[in-house]
Amino acid sequence: MFEFFLHLSPLIGINIILAVSLNLINGICGQFSLGHAGFWAVGAYTGAAYSVYGALPLPDELNLIISCGLGFIAACVAGLIIGVPCLRLRGDYLAIATLGFGEIIRIVIMNTDAIGGPRGFSGIPKWTNLFWVSLFVVITVVIIANILRGTHGRAIISIREDEIAADSMGIYTFKYKTLAFVIGAGFAGLAGSLYAHYTQFLHPNGFSFMFSVIILLMIILGGLGSITGSIVGAIILTLMPEVLRFMGETVSQWRMVIYSVLLIALMLLRPGGIFGKHEFNPLTLFKKKGEEA
Amino acid sequence: MSTPILETKAITMRFGGLTAVDNFSLKIGKTDLIGVIGPNGAGKTTIFNMITGIYEPTEGIVELNGENIVGNRPAFITQKGIARTFQNIRLFKDLSVIDNIRLAGHFRVDYGLVASIFRTKKFHAEEKRLEDEAMELLKIFGLEKKKDHLAKNLPYGEQRRLEIARALGTKPSVLLLDEPAAGMNPNETKELTKLIRWVRDKFQIAILLIEHDMKLVMEVCETIYVVDHGVQIAHGVPSEIQNNPKVIEAYLGTDAE
Ligand SMILES: Nc1ncnc2c1ncn2[C@@H]1O[C@H](COP(=O)(O)OP(=O)(O)O)[C@@H](O)[C@H]1O
Ligand SMILES: [Mg+2]
Repeated sequence: MFEFFLHLSPLIGINIILAVSLNLINGICGQFSLGHAGFWAVGAYTGAAYSVYGALPLPDELNLIISCGLGFIAACVAGLIIGVPCLRLRGDYLAIATLGFGEIIRIVIMNTDAIGGPRGFSGIPKWTNLFWVSLFVVITVVIIANILRGTHGRAIISIREDEIAADSMGIYTFKYKTLAFVIGAGFAGLAGSLYAHYTQFLHPNGFSFMFSVIILLMIILGGLGSITGSIVGAIILTLMPEVLRFMGETVSQWRMVIYSVLLIALMLLRPGGIFGKHEFNPLTLFKKKGEEA
Repeated sequence: MSTPILETKAITMRFGGLTAVDNFSLKIGKTDLIGVIGPNGAGKTTIFNMITGIYEPTEGIVELNGENIVGNRPAFITQKGIARTFQNIRLFKDLSVIDNIRLAGHFRVDYGLVASIFRTKKFHAEEKRLEDEAMELLKIFGLEKKKDHLAKNLPYGEQRRLEIARALGTKPSVLLLDEPAAGMNPNETKELTKLIRWVRDKFQIAILLIEHDMKLVMEVCETIYVVDHGVQIAHGVPSEIQNNPKVIEAYLGTDAE
């Protein structure tokens, strides 16, 4: 059991980074993106390509940091290229466009022989461990939380609240939508590189649209707009398949159905997700209702 | 009249076959308090939307300090000095009262993303300034005790006040108020009447007020423009407007509210 958890915990951390970064785009900025698996893939393959083909003669730890940095930068660039045209769209159209781009990324990878194409990319060194994942989770959460508690973060939130009002307050809404999108994509890329150096094997099918939906489920479960919610959502949905597997094969096969039922139940009982838009903070638990900010 | 700070020159807005505003011209001097009245659907909000860049006029120009601002983004126009409120309040509902005001100061903030991530000295200094300025405005509007409440939890009248305070947070030279008394009871409307005049005197800015409620406009405004079906049918001081038969017919006659 302990070993099992040890295996799972880096994946939990990676999913936390994915969920928090998607939440920045979807829940905090209010731009409905369904392409997160694509940015994850860009980071994973970039980081893996570095360590397989170009790793410098440095200690593994430094090389991991470099490959995560490269994954971050590559995904930021992809986020910029995809975000600029897509973020002019709204709502459903934005969701469909980002979904399309996510799939395009996957198909491009599928057809690039140097990184394994449909055979998958193997021979990636195992550099990621629980320590590095935890460190990057903390870095991601601190950076995003700090941004949110500054003027740029408030501008990002104001777009979700009311884009027309934000514009009328002198806030360049397109610039901040793009900023949120690019930062969110970048951290997904970082998570990708961590993932590549953990599983040591990448296959394009692992980065399909379905996984974007699962990350989306994590943030909806935790509450769109709540960082702590995303963390909890990521933990629950990473453990869920394992718990279901534990309950037997038939239950496990009905996984997506169980998710759907859970999601419907959540929407009926707590439409805002577990935490709504708020953060879990023990200090504010005792404040009177209506006083919370 | 002193030289106008804001001037619209024959602005026209067409939506497909519908001409919502037809050749509308107006001039506002530095500290004028001007009203635009007209029945529902007359085109008043559309005029505001053209001035603030939410719509681009089909024809005509809008000049701020003699400079044509047509074709710019609303954010740019706000930064140039025109702030507004909305007919159906548009606050950042899930943000605190003070964050609503802080956002009005956003475009003047002088620190970058990196400073925000690393919490530099400059970050703290600028945040302090933002907060102080926001608190000052909240005090003026009697909202300082509610600074940490979510905007959506304020009573209606206070939401209206907060929206005006937030608009002033951008430090405008012209303030546009779109039906600020809508949904208010007679008492609140009376308070608002005082507040509007007081804001003009205190901040020394020009105010353009849209109202549907004749009484408020008659009491507050020095000059009134009357629009009906997108066309300006009268223009003058309140007493002239009150006795203008065209206004009585088009406005009061058809839509006495
Ligand atoms: N975006 C739009 N598209 C089409 N018609 C519009 C639009 N905005 C306003 N209108 C029309 O323009 C006219 C004037 O509307 P509006 O300016 O809101 O009036 P008021 O504020 O005086 O009540 C109305 O007939 C309205 O239906
Ligand atoms: Mg209107």
